[in-house]
Order: sequence, then structure tokens, then C-alpha cells
Amino acid sequence: MARSKAHYWFVGPALFLMVLILLLPIGIASLMSFTNYSLGNPGAEFVGLANYEKIFTRSAYAKMFGASFRYVFVVVPLSVGLGLGAALLINSIKRFGDVYKTIYFLPVMAALIAMATVWEFAFHPTIGIVNSTLERGCGSFLESWSWYAHGCKQGFPLWLTDRDYAIWTVAFIGVWQAFGFNMVLYLAGLTSVPRELYHAAEMDGAKSAWERFRLVTWPMLGPTTVFVVTISVIRSFQVFDTVEAFYPQGGGPSKSVYVMMFAIYEKAIQQNLMGIGAAITVVFLAFVMFLTLAQRWLVERRVHYT
Amino acid sequence: MASISLKAIEKSFGETSVLERIDLDIAPGEFLTLVGPSGCGKSTLLRILAGLEAPDSGDVLIDGERVNDVRPADRNLAMVFQSYALYPHLSVGQNMMTPLRLRDLSFTERLPLIGQFLARAKYRDLSSQVSDAAKVLKIDHLLARKPGQLSGGQRQRVALGRAMVRKPVGFLMDEPLSNLDAALRIHMRSELAELHRSLQTTFVYVTHDQAEALTMSDRMAVMMDGKILQLGTPDEIYNNPRDIRVAEFVGAPKINLLPGYLDADGHAACEDVVLTRVAKNCSGDITIGLRPEHLALCSVKDPEALQGRVVHKENLGADIYLHVILHQGGHRLVLRAAPIEGVPVSIGQNVAFKLQHGVAMVFDEAGKRVDLSHEAEKAPAKSGVKATVPEVA
Amino acid sequence: MSYATQTSAQSGSLPAFRFSTAETMKHVVLIVGCLIVLLPFYVMVSYSFKSPAEIMQNIGGFFGSQEAFRDDYCIKLGKDIADCMVTPVIYNYTTAFEKAPLVRYLLNGVFVTASIFFIQVLVALPCAYALAKLRFWGRDVVFGLVLFCLLIPVHAIALPLYIMLAKLGLTNSYAALIIPWSISVFGIFLMRQFFMTVPDDLIDAARMDGMNEFSIIWNVMLPTAVPALLAFAIFSVVAHWNDYFWPRIVITGDRSLFTPPLGLREFKGDADGDNFGPMMATATIIVAPLIVAFLIAQRRFIEGITLSGMK
Repeated sequence: MARSKAHYWFVGPALFLMVLILLLPIGIASLMSFTNYSLGNPGAEFVGLANYEKIFTRSAYAKMFGASFRYVFVVVPLSVGLGLGAALLINSIKRFGDVYKTIYFLPVMAALIAMATVWEFAFHPTIGIVNSTLERGCGSFLESWSWYAHGCKQGFPLWLTDRDYAIWTVAFIGVWQAFGFNMVLYLAGLTSVPRELYHAAEMDGAKSAWERFRLVTWPMLGPTTVFVVTISVIRSFQVFDTVEAFYPQGGGPSKSVYVMMFAIYEKAIQQNLMGIGAAITVVFLAFVMFLTLAQRWLVERRVHYT
Repeated sequence: MASISLKAIEKSFGETSVLERIDLDIAPGEFLTLVGPSGCGKSTLLRILAGLEAPDSGDVLIDGERVNDVRPADRNLAMVFQSYALYPHLSVGQNMMTPLRLRDLSFTERLPLIGQFLARAKYRDLSSQVSDAAKVLKIDHLLARKPGQLSGGQRQRVALGRAMVRKPVGFLMDEPLSNLDAALRIHMRSELAELHRSLQTTFVYVTHDQAEALTMSDRMAVMMDGKILQLGTPDEIYNNPRDIRVAEFVGAPKINLLPGYLDADGHAACEDVVLTRVAKNCSGDITIGLRPEHLALCSVKDPEALQGRVVHKENLGADIYLHVILHQGGHRLVLRAAPIEGVPVSIGQNVAFKLQHGVAMVFDEAGKRVDLSHEAEKAPAKSGVKATVPEVA
Repeated sequence: MSYATQTSAQSGSLPAFRFSTAETMKHVVLIVGCLIVLLPFYVMVSYSFKSPAEIMQNIGGFFGSQEAFRDDYCIKLGKDIADCMVTPVIYNYTTAFEKAPLVRYLLNGVFVTASIFFIQVLVALPCAYALAKLRFWGRDVVFGLVLFCLLIPVHAIALPLYIMLAKLGLTNSYAALIIPWSISVFGIFLMRQFFMTVPDDLIDAARMDGMNEFSIIWNVMLPTAVPALLAFAIFSVVAHWNDYFWPRIVITGDRSLFTPPLGLREFKGDADGDNFGPMMATATIIVAPLIVAFLIAQRRFIEGITLSGMK
């Protein structure tokens, strides 16, 4: 190891940029959250905790938390679960594994804004392919499902414009986009499970796939799962593209899709209320950091066995 | 305890043939070792026996019943893996309880919290079985630890324990000692042998270490290139190898092999080395096999003495092995000497030594053992000391 | 023989049938999944081939019947009906390029993405090398800082960054698009992990040969780090080509700076019924480069994601 001055040059730019681009903004946001600053104003007044009070009391922000949490708590389990399921299935078939892998990974590569536009069209109440396909099933055995029969009579849901369905539809698109990525991570994790453990499990009497999964696969995937969940949670909290594409104003039917990133955008950029935008930013950052650290801590305690 | 039979087992991986028509009958309760160099197919054979691999043709019989179509979990055999394959996330106690749980508890009884509540009595029973096995193996103080916190030897015992609790009809062991250090390995040999005697269950043991095979087995099968070259007791294998490859593989240091021929009277000879017994019904080139302990230092004046120059000396404490190059012919031999005789010998010195009678082995061109017999009266003039070892057929 | 159908390749080499029911069921499930996953791609490409009438009525198969239809816009411009009959696919794609400077947007995308990656490597590689191989006072502090910054999603601090840029008058510029991404702590972390696996001897040998630290980075470390660099490239390019949020915030008026996602959004903004076709064509054009690159080099992509995930 050399002792030279070169490291100043190497580390310097990175350090400078880290402070400037990552740390300083946090400081600025924190300060700003205590003011009522607007861009273009010469100065700002200090308003104390007023912004935070608004966030935690006003109903619009209650909806913001509601929408964000609903989204995260739907997208994360589903995208992780589907990613795991797809990885297990693909790992266990003999042929075409690569084909399925490629297809399932395509949504991850495609610009979400583009695909969101397409999905919006597919979910169009009348000319969208989803409803028109559902309508083709009218008059068949599917009508024994009461929801389906109701839809045949009175028209299928409006999906993105219906207050009851909007958040779940957006969440569905989120799952669609994310699970391929989780699948690839799980496939990598599966290859590191020692095969002899499966043989030992078989000799011990684990006869069904479920038992093998519980005894060997799931425990061995512990570290992978923590990583996948962490990444999924952070990305889900950051959802923006779909929401802004579908609902440029207002955050969905009665704000049912008013997620945090969109709220920041609306308040700060559209309405030029930087103070409250900064407050939401700080709350958001706190969430993300807390969740990430909590998951890191979990990893140390429970998931590493060696 | 069950008798195990393998009949006409064949297995290939792609184009490579790994096992060629293996027939093997294992008696109930015996300790049988499959021994051979890497790649000879012994692990594959063990796995076929376990059911983890399917033979291309042939039958596996346990207690006379054909079990080819029975899955491993149902064959009531337990396996100890080379890497132990312990579940890293479970404690030692839980590891050992796993086979019992899977076998004796129903699905609901196995559920994490509810199960224990529903079947308290069963759980207690299983726990006591586990602690009994743990006591025998002296790991009862480790039951709460995880495998990651144990030493190699302890893990090995846990793997054994996990196999034992099931009280299977046979134990299959795939090189269980190879990951241990040398001293522990030697200690575990005797422990395993004693365990076998106390359990009185069939042990099928795979190893590449011929010393393990010799010290632990009731019978051993020497395998090479997918075939069983010889099956017999360690005594038979060591003293009466039927194939030159078996003779070379078993015994340390390796047996001395001298290329030679049969003289007019049928005595095998290589330069100065001439055997007293004759080979009937054999012609062509032969190889003479002499184990180091069949050679002994003697006085130069001995009529049967052979002469050579010492090029290397190994002092193992209880034995001295001298590597000697014969003056006549330049072949290299290893001979064993007692410390009293061997220690004074130095490298470069000329020594004289002679063969013990009646114990040399002769192998024909194809490597097969040639039986020798004593010819009456026609022994060469240099005969003298009669062999004290019983005649080998 | 029923036990054979329960086994899976997970158990290694347990005997299993070739056409067991279990295997077939798995494929059925996977294929249904493929249909759902591919649905929007199908819709997107198919509609980019179709005429407005076909789109509205959801007919015409995948390629559309390609019958010429009447371009009403052209009629509004006062041309003859006869001159205004266009085949759908040609109409859609030409409109996509004409209605907005799509080529410009694509070039913007390439320029921005490439610049970002280039600067990221320039900044991250030396830092990673220093953290991995050089000893200096404060090294652990710097690394701790890197780890801390990994917790900060850049999109989360978009707001203060925007203000900083606005105060500097840099909004609506390439600088605004590129600068916030110039530091990639993920890149530093990934490359450092990788560099730690390079044997010290290699570097010492280079030093003995007289190389200074700077050239060691580019001549010794860089070539060995190609797999990690590739993984990093994939992450960076995919993320920034597809990035919608940040450009949306920072490009507030100058359309000539739009990146492809913004271009599509603008199209969508003033889309009416007749413009679904061209809109789908635009979407296809935006999505195509990465998809095609992915299809050509899937193994590399997936290995890259795996590599960075495992670190």
C-alpha cells in the first residue's frame, strides 16, 4: 500500500460531489421545511413546525400516506412473491428457462412512462383491450362469479378513473414492472443454495416440493430476500411515472393515488410551495432511511448463519 | 438391519460409462467399504443405493425387495454426506429432529407454533430420542448451537446423529472423514467402528483412503474404473490381492513391483530376485510383487542376500523404510526395517537384504494374480528358511 | 411411478419423467404469465401499425389490415382526398417523427445517458480504487460516507437540487440533466468491492515498473474491472434512458432538450382520439433501443444485475 498524495485527487471529486449533490440538499430541505419559501421570493419566513403539522393532520396528506402505504404494501409483497415464484418455476423446468427469463425481464427494461401510456390505453373502459376481452366472456360460465356478472350487466370497472380501483390498478402496473428484476435476483440466490442440502432433505424424508422449500430453499434465500425487499420498498416509495402520466393534476380520483413523490412534485413544482414540499421530502427521506437501516439490522441478526 | 443387494447395476453419464455391471451383496449388519481412487464410481454407486440417482439398468434390492422405484425418503436408509449437509439455520437439536418430524408428525403437527401445541406428547418423545442419540455421540451439550458455531469434528457427529435418530436399516456414508484433519480422522475411525458394533446396523462406507477401509470394514470392495476388482475381508484384500491394481492400491507404502519373467522351471525371476515357488500354467512376462515387510535386512554373507544402494530413508518412528536401488538391474525397492537395524543405515550405503519365503506375489501380463505352489525338491540351491506365513493358494 | 412426477430439478438428479404432468403444469403457468407480461408490448406494437378505426374497434389482428385510411388532418390543410389516403403504419411512424422532433429527443437521450455514465466512471473509478487499495488518513470515514449516501435515493432530494439549480440559472440545460447524476455512490461501492478482489501484487508490479497511481487506474484496474463496469453501465444506462421524473422537473420550457420519455409525455399531453397510432409508434421507438440491446445481450444484462445484486 503506497502512501502518496494521489488519493486526494482520486477521492476529492467524489467527496466534493457527494457533499454537494447528496448531503447539502438534505440540509437545505431540512431547513426549508421550517419555512414557507417559494421560488422567486427574495426571502422566506420561518414558520416552525407548521408544515409538519399540516402533513400529519390535514386529510389530503392522510390520503397521501394512505395511497403510498397501500401502494407499497401491495407492490412489495406481490412483486417479491411473484419474483420468487417465477424464479422457482424457471429454476425447476428443463427447457425454455432462458426464454421465460428474458420475457419476464422485459418490463424492467422498458421505460415506465411509455408502458404506462400503453397500459392506460389497455385499461380504457370502452376501447381498452382489458374490458373488451372481459366482455367477450359474458354469457359464459364466468358469469357464475358475481363480480363478473355485475360487470357484464352494468359495465366493467373504469379501472384508472374509479376511486375504488385506481390505486390497485396502478399497483398492478407497478408489480408488472418490478417482479422481473426481483426474479433475476432470486435466480442468482437460488444458484448459491448448496445442492447437497436438497439431498439431505430427501434422505430425511422431505417428499414434497413444499417441504423442500420450507426446509432448504426459503431459509437459504434469507439474505437474498432481505436485499430484494429492501430494494423493492425503496423503489415503490419512489413511484412517480405512472401517477403523473395518468393523473397530471390532483393525484387520482379523490386523491386515491396521491403518492408521496407526486405530492412533492405537486406542492413544490406545480404550486411553488417549497416549504411544504421540503417537509414532505424530509418525511419521505426519514421513512426510506429508517426502513433500509431496519432491514440491514435484520440481516445481521437473523439471516446470516455462518 | 437389512440385507442389501445390487444386481447388474450400470450407469453412464452421457458418453462416459461410470459403472459397469456391478454385482454386490451386503450381509445384514456388516460394515462394507467401497474403496478406490477418485472417479472409480464408488460415490455414484452409493447414491444409486440411496436412490438419489437411478441406474441405467440393474436392480437395487433391500431385504429382497426391488426398490428401484422407491424414492430415497421411503427406503429407510440414512446418509452421511461428505460436506455433512447440515441445515445452517437450524440448531443441532433441530437438525437431528428433522427426519423424525418429517416422518412421525402430520402436516398440521409440523406447523411452527400450533403444531407444538397440538402434539406436545409427540414432541417430547421426539426430543428424548434426539437427546439419547446426542448422548451416545457426546454432543448433548451442543444441542442449542448452530452448525456454523461448531468445529469440523462436531459437525460430523451431528451429521451422524441426524442419521442415527431415524434408526434406519442401513447407514450410507460418503467419505465422512475426508474433511477432518489427520489426527481426528484416525480417532474417528475407531469411534465409527465401535459405533457400528454397538448399533449392529449395516454400514455402507465410501472412501478413497485404503487405511480407513482396512481398519474399519468387515469386508471391502476395491473399485476402479467402474468395476469391483475384488471383494473380501481386509485380510484377504491385503494378503491375497487377485489383481495387480488391488495390490498397488492397498497397503502403505506401496507394494514393490518388479517386471520379470518365468524361467525354465517356472520360477518367477527378475535379475537376482528369484522366487522359490513356481507358477504353473503361465507364460510370458510377469510382475513380481513384494510388500516392504516381506523384505528384511540381512548379512552380506547370507546365501540369499540381494544387494543394493540406499537412496532414501524414511523414519516413521516405529518403522524405518529404506528405498534401495538393486545393484543388479537398477530396480527400486522399499524395504521395512526395525529401528534398531535401520537407524544406523545411511544414505548411499550398500545394504544386503533378502525375501521372506512364500509371501511374494506374481501377476501375469494382464495384471491377474498367478497362483504359486511349492515344487517339491526342485527348489534352487539357495533355499533355506521356510516361510512362516501360511501358504497362499 | 407417481413419485417421479413430484420431483423437480431442484432435488438434483432424482429421476423424473420427460413429459410429466407437473412439468407441463409449470409451463402452463409460466406461459399464462408471459401473456400478461407481454400484453402491453403487444398492444403497443400492434397499435403502432393500425389505423384509428381499427384501434377504436380493436380489430385487425396484430399487423392491422393496412388499408389506406383518410388522414383528416391533411384534409384540414386543404389537400385533396385522394392525396390524403395513407397506410396506417407509414402514417403512424412518420407522424411520430414529424409531430415532434423525435430524432432530436433520441439524440438527447443518447447524449445525456452517455455523458452521465462517462462522468460517473470518471468520478467513481479513482475513488473506488483509492478506497480499495490505497491507505490514507480518513479512508474509513470516506467509506462510511459512501455507505451512508447509499441510503439516499436521488429522486428523494430532487426538490432541493432543483432549487439549487434554479438559483444558478441552470434549469432547462443539459447541465441540469447531467450534473445531479454525476456522483454514483452505487458505482463507487460496486467498483470498490470488485477492486478488492484484484491481487495487490498486480498493482505493486505496476508500481515497480514505474507507473504512477493515475495510470495504474486506467491501465491496470480498468481492464480487470470490465465485468463490473459492464454491470454498472447497464444499471446506469437503463436507469437514465428511462428516467422521467428528473427531466420532468428540470426541463420546464425548452422542448429541444426533451429526453425520449418527456417527448412521449408531450405527445400524450395533446393526444386526441386520432393520435393513438402515432403515440404508440413513439412509445415503440423509445422503448425499442433498450429492448433490442437487451435481446441481443441478455446474458450480459442478467449477469450484470446478478453481479451487482450479490455485492
